Amino acid sequence: MRSQVFNRGVGLVVAAIAGGAAILLWIAVASDPPAQGNVPSTGAIFGVWQLLYDMQAPTPRVLLAAVSLAALFAAAVALIEIRVSNRSRRSFDVQTSPLAPKVIMAATRGTFHGAVSVTVLIPAHNEEVTLPDTLRSILAQSHRPDRVIVVADNCTDDTVAIAHSHGVEVVETVDNTAKKAGALNQVLRSILPDQGPNDVIMVLDADTAVDDGFLAAAVSRFTNDRGLMAVGGLFYGEEGAGLLGQLQRNEYVRYSAQIGRRRGRVFVLTGTASLFRSTALRTVAANRGASIPGIRGDVYDTAALTEDNELTLALKSLGALIISPAECTVVTEVMPTVGALWVQRLRWQRGALENLGAYGLTPATFRYWAQQLGIGYSVIALSGFVLLIMITVFAVNAWVWFPFWLGLGVVFTAERVVSVWNGGWRARLLAAALVPELIFDIVLDLVYVQGIIDITRGRKGAWGHVDHAPARTALQEENVS
Amino acid sequence: MTGLIQAIPTGIVLPESVLHSEFFAVLAAFVAVNTVMYAALAISKIVPMVHWSDWLPGRRRRTETRSIFPDAATREHPEAPSAPTVRGSGTP
Repeated sequence: MRSQVFNRGVGLVVAAIAGGAAILLWIAVASDPPAQGNVPSTGAIFGVWQLLYDMQAPTPRVLLAAVSLAALFAAAVALIEIRVSNRSRRSFDVQTSPLAPKVIMAATRGTFHGAVSVTVLIPAHNEEVTLPDTLRSILAQSHRPDRVIVVADNCTDDTVAIAHSHGVEVVETVDNTAKKAGALNQVLRSILPDQGPNDVIMVLDADTAVDDGFLAAAVSRFTNDRGLMAVGGLFYGEEGAGLLGQLQRNEYVRYSAQIGRRRGRVFVLTGTASLFRSTALRTVAANRGASIPGIRGDVYDTAALTEDNELTLALKSLGALIISPAECTVVTEVMPTVGALWVQRLRWQRGALENLGAYGLTPATFRYWAQQLGIGYSVIALSGFVLLIMITVFAVNAWVWFPFWLGLGVVFTAERVVSVWNGGWRARLLAAALVPELIFDIVLDLVYVQGIIDITRGRKGAWGHVDHAPARTALQEENVS
Repeated sequence: MTGLIQAIPTGIVLPESVLHSEFFAVLAAFVAVNTVMYAALAISKIVPMVHWSDWLPGRRRRTETRSIFPDAATREHPEAPSAPTVRGSGTP
């Protein structure tokens, strides 16, 4: 596929575009010099409290331009995304969109290929601590899976024995060096050829518990729509890990709410728990090395740092219809320390950018490029904001009220609280405090910058792995992007 | 008022004159524009979503069943089977 140079340059491309946009705005703002430094006025509340205030604010014309610009960007991204998805939906081209609904429906029209069956694959590398919970959650589903296979990859603990004790099948990988993707490829190569059009493969992380009703809802979707190629889980964070845990839980609540607003149109089929129609996986394997990156015959691209994100791009590139229904929820681990969070997010960030480098700018990847540019620009915007606050704080020794900034603060606080409403009172309180989430965002921005530096320098990406205390019934490293 | 301002001639670390420099004015305007843009996006994320297709009759109607059961009813044909049921009769 694409050259290594382009892959390494993807971070710089995103940084350059985002930086270019910021410079243009700076020049535009500087070309019409704003009024310099008003002297704060003094006022009184109820004639008692003396306070300093500064009414300085951009002109209505500038404010209107800013709002229009934001609306224009949002509308452009949304419209292009709708256009791309409509194109896939209406496509009848077996060559370019072999997984498009119309192509799949034509191939299965008028024939009943049997009821939907579910084979669960649980890749596990030394997961004796968390595997029992995962197995219990999947075996207790109201719609029981037809097969459960634990894919034991280079295990040196009791993973295999635990799987046997729960009465599920175990397949041990042979000479696998490509981690989770390689382990899954091995087992998929042997089971996919026997699967029919209504046979579904579920990939479930060994540290993830699926909520009851997950499988029933997913099977119902696959039954009612034979054009549907994949169903992804919506994840929420497990309890624990204090403030850092709550910050991550808030983030996950917002992501789920966003997917809900999009009616399940998903960005990434989570590696923690997703189901794929066998036809989809076979088609991906057949197209690797040609229209999508990777080695022909491999379902997962072993070169990808975030294999779930990569597989989502592969499916979308082939025209597949994929969703994340609100009923399909999974509990996922939150990182217990800033260090662990840093490693996890660095992998997600690098994985997302590297995948875009591998696919290039295509209709299917447009939305993801826009997302990366959005994050890149937000890094610059947030840095500017922090710089402004710091200069102001260091240069003023009396508290001055800025009604314009206070108003904006109220708007942001409202958005933070409303968007996390489903997360409960703790989530809302944390959102209302504003500052902790602002600091969390700054940390994620630093990860983003580190990711770009690492990619550009060609440093090897690392997989995070959280060591669990044996008594802890928790989830382990996971793959949402 | 003048007395109050004169009482705070310099800041804690930086001279107060920084706040009256052109750089600071441009930075403030730059940040203001960005913040307003993000505020607009933030508001757009919390206002209720309108799905226009819900209001347009017929947009979501299917001409044939998408179920794995070929006999399944469709909105257009609530009872009639929509396709033959013989295995292998589908379009390749």
